[in-house]
Amino acid sequence: MRLLDVKNLTVEIDTGSVFVKALDKVSLTVETGEIRALVGESGSGKSLIVRAIIGAIPDHWIITADRLTWKGQNLLTMSNEQRRIIMRREIAVVFQDPTSSLDPSATLRSQLEESIPEELLDKGMFWQRNKQRREIAIGLMHKVGIKNHEACMQRYPHEIAADIAQKFMIAMALVSEPELLIADDPTRSMESTTKNQILRLLSGLNETRKLAILFVSHDLLAISSMAHTMTVLYCGQTVESGKVKHLHRRPLHPYTKALLDSAPSFQINLPPKSHLVALPGTIPTLKHLPIGCRLGPRCPNARKECVKVPEQKMVHQHSYSCHFPLHSPVDDDLETKQ
Amino acid sequence: MLNLLLRYINLMVLTIAILIIISFSLAYVFPGDTLTNISGIVPQSNEQRVALEAVFKLDRSIFVQFWYYIENLISGDWGVSSSSQISLLEEISIAFPATIELITYALLVSIFIGIPLGFIGGIWHHKPFDFGVVTFSVVSYSFPVFWLALIFITIFSLQLGYLPLSGRVNFLYDIPHSSGFILWDIMLADIPDKKDAFKDALRHLILPTASIALVTTAIFIRFTRRSIMDEMNKGYIDAAKSRGFTTKQIFFKHGLRNSLLPILPLMAMQISTLITNAMVVETIFSWPGIGNWIIQAIYQRDYPAIRIGMLVVSVFVVTLTITIEFISRAIDPARDKFQRGAV
Repeated sequence: MRLLDVKNLTVEIDTGSVFVKALDKVSLTVETGEIRALVGESGSGKSLIVRAIIGAIPDHWIITADRLTWKGQNLLTMSNEQRRIIMRREIAVVFQDPTSSLDPSATLRSQLEESIPEELLDKGMFWQRNKQRREIAIGLMHKVGIKNHEACMQRYPHEIAADIAQKFMIAMALVSEPELLIADDPTRSMESTTKNQILRLLSGLNETRKLAILFVSHDLLAISSMAHTMTVLYCGQTVESGKVKHLHRRPLHPYTKALLDSAPSFQINLPPKSHLVALPGTIPTLKHLPIGCRLGPRCPNARKECVKVPEQKMVHQHSYSCHFPLHSPVDDDLETKQ
Repeated sequence: MLNLLLRYINLMVLTIAILIIISFSLAYVFPGDTLTNISGIVPQSNEQRVALEAVFKLDRSIFVQFWYYIENLISGDWGVSSSSQISLLEEISIAFPATIELITYALLVSIFIGIPLGFIGGIWHHKPFDFGVVTFSVVSYSFPVFWLALIFITIFSLQLGYLPLSGRVNFLYDIPHSSGFILWDIMLADIPDKKDAFKDALRHLILPTASIALVTTAIFIRFTRRSIMDEMNKGYIDAAKSRGFTTKQIFFKHGLRNSLLPILPLMAMQISTLITNAMVVETIFSWPGIGNWIIQAIYQRDYPAIRIGMLVVSVFVVTLTITIEFISRAIDPARDKFQRGAV
């Protein structure tokens, strides 16, 4: 079943004088039980998509979409209260910076216990509630791999390490037993051991609980190891989207290819001392966005037609937005079978 | 925590020590006779002068004199006023509670009006109500207190005649002095027309309290509003929203506490402004408080009274400021971390 369905989401942000399309017709879906990776450079609007989904966009920014639905319910037209209930029980978010996402003046314990929905407590007497809350909290801490829960629960957010805080954030996200976990770059600025722990934790949750995960990151290595499908974002436009293995084997969009080539770990027979491939130039700033396909000025195959925004084309679960795809699009699955 | 407490006590003791040194040196710096400045008594004959100098150790070295001065301060022997020849401790214990009463009410009014208004303005910022709140705070912040007090008198006392012009309570009521706080004294007093006296005292309080409270309210509104706006934009509020908490829960459980923590010390710093304004307003409303008393002392060149009055007021301000600073430091968990060199 399609949990989250975003079609042609456009967010225009106020830069002081003019409105700029920070997201331009972004499309994204998350199915039940899949891990969808959302990849893009810094500043490509990954976090903005997350904020649009959870409804944390400032009121004066213009947000339009053909579809922004959660299980068929339109998120944009529903009342705040309905949306709040969906956020409370069905969608959970883990943010980039764990320590700033926690109330600095409350202990971790009180924050975790506050997040436990009332419905999860057994119908005991009210004086038993606190004990139940505590047990649920401790259970969650163990589940996410915080063994020393006593030392952690009494702490304030600034007193704990970033990786513990991130695990704690995941615990807080899991407390309401959500169906979709949006992880906004959860492993940013972490060294690889803790990063692997967190990635393993997320994959484990996906397998045991059928938890769908929208994994926002630019860490291609992590994505290729855990994600099922991925959506590549460049400068606020969706560039290509499909199954991870298909995108790896046969990227259709020049940007996807450049992105994959820039990670040497994927190229098995890379000769020593060869050039690391990278696109020339940098990602444009919001004030100087090129018209048409935003990759245009940096694209090796750009032609005259690229000043027009390419239509999104779809070939068997593999969609791309390019006038001149690198390969002739074929059915990837069919090819695998042959 | 003990470490913190010791640091603040150390700060307080040092500051008060410096204040005492300054007040002692005033006896020498003020024009006129040092003996009169320090004792308040004008010697009538040479014998009396010699005797007084011996009592105040003015014939000994300056360190002995200072030590004796501190001893006297602590034992409550603050000398006499050179104009009235009444003990200064007694005069201050009558005048100072009147001021404390006035600023307490002004502070309460500012807290109970300023903080909620600033809070609402910060939440609904750039909405009509917020513009109203900001306009109110800018306008009332721009009023000079002395002018405002005079305008209040002109309108409410002289033109409309609603409220009394000066004093703490009508002379008809004979309130025995016990604690120095007029409302409290009336409640304790054993007089037949207690209710009327209480009402009358309240009516006397309205104008001075309003003129002092208006500026402080404006400052509190601005502090609270800014702080709420800052806090509500922070990541943990977004995170709380994404967890699906109700708006009420977010405001009262997270936003309010975090935005009040940084402004508590700023509010403590307003106590000195409050006292300064109270002194001005007391003079205008003939309120028998410490400000009025010091101004009278200045008119009469009553140097001992000026010296002790300055010391008492500044010790009061310093003690209160440091205490609130300490409390706000103690209840804010995040303030305890090392601001620099954190890992």
